[in-house]
Amino acid sequence: MKEIAMFNSTVGLLKKVLDLRVKNQQVIASNIANADTPGYTPARLDFEKDLQRALGDPSPVRNGHPNHFPLGGGGVDKVEGRVIRSPDTSGIGDRNGVQVDQEMIALAENQIMYESATQMLGKKLGLLKYVIQNG
Amino acid sequence: MDIFGSMKISSSALAAQRSRLNVVSSNLANAETTRTPEGGPYRKRDVIFRSAPMGFDGVLEQAVQGVEVAEIRTNPSPPKLVHDPSHPDADAQGNVALPNINLLEEMVDLTSASRSYDANVTVIKSAKRMALKALEIGK
Repeated sequence: MKEIAMFNSTVGLLKKVLDLRVKNQQVIASNIANADTPGYTPARLDFEKDLQRALGDPSPVRNGHPNHFPLGGGGVDKVEGRVIRSPDTSGIGDRNGVQVDQEMIALAENQIMYESATQMLGKKLGLLKYVIQNG
Repeated sequence: MDIFGSMKISSSALAAQRSRLNVVSSNLANAETTRTPEGGPYRKRDVIFRSAPMGFDGVLEQAVQGVEVAEIRTNPSPPKLVHDPSHPDADAQGNVALPNINLLEEMVDLTSASRSYDANVTVIKSAKRMALKALEIGK
């Protein structure tokens, strides 16, 4: 029997997005918490490109090693995001690279993206519910 | 760690910023204190922060850190000498040693601590909203 496509792709992707957004929230919270810590290097969680690649490329190549990057086709689950650290290069002050305004923007953006994913998931499940009840 | 992990990080920052506020208010309150238990005028105290690992695993292990107070250090700069022979703590030359506290510096520190506190409260609110939104899935 063919699997229900509805659960297969979109719901799985949205689940992953929620997961990664929560991780991103933690990274941003850590940056803001350490806005006054001398020598702290802010981090950023980069996952959008990886997710896009995992989605868009249906290449059948199997990754043979656990450290190999997934080449699409069911790779969505394997996207973990990459942590990018950007040290302070201004050369003044206490070598803390956190820019609180930028972090607040990232926080707001992350929250909106998270909420839109929850809404999409809700609609998706709503459709399914509708089909179950009236179909 | 789930969404509460982010709240734990922010709450560590709230605690750290609050102790910074306590130290600033102690410095401001003692800006004119000339007698202390350890002798001499009050010395300015500085709060030193350090990042603290919060027990995350995977890719976030190094990237996600809370914050804690590493130490509260006594500022080594010399006391201010003010000529006031009528002061009971004046020395033979009529100079009084006043605490090494600069009111402007303290006020800037106060504002900065309070702003950082606000920023962390915003992060907690955002995490809370995300958690509540997740509860609405499927409603």
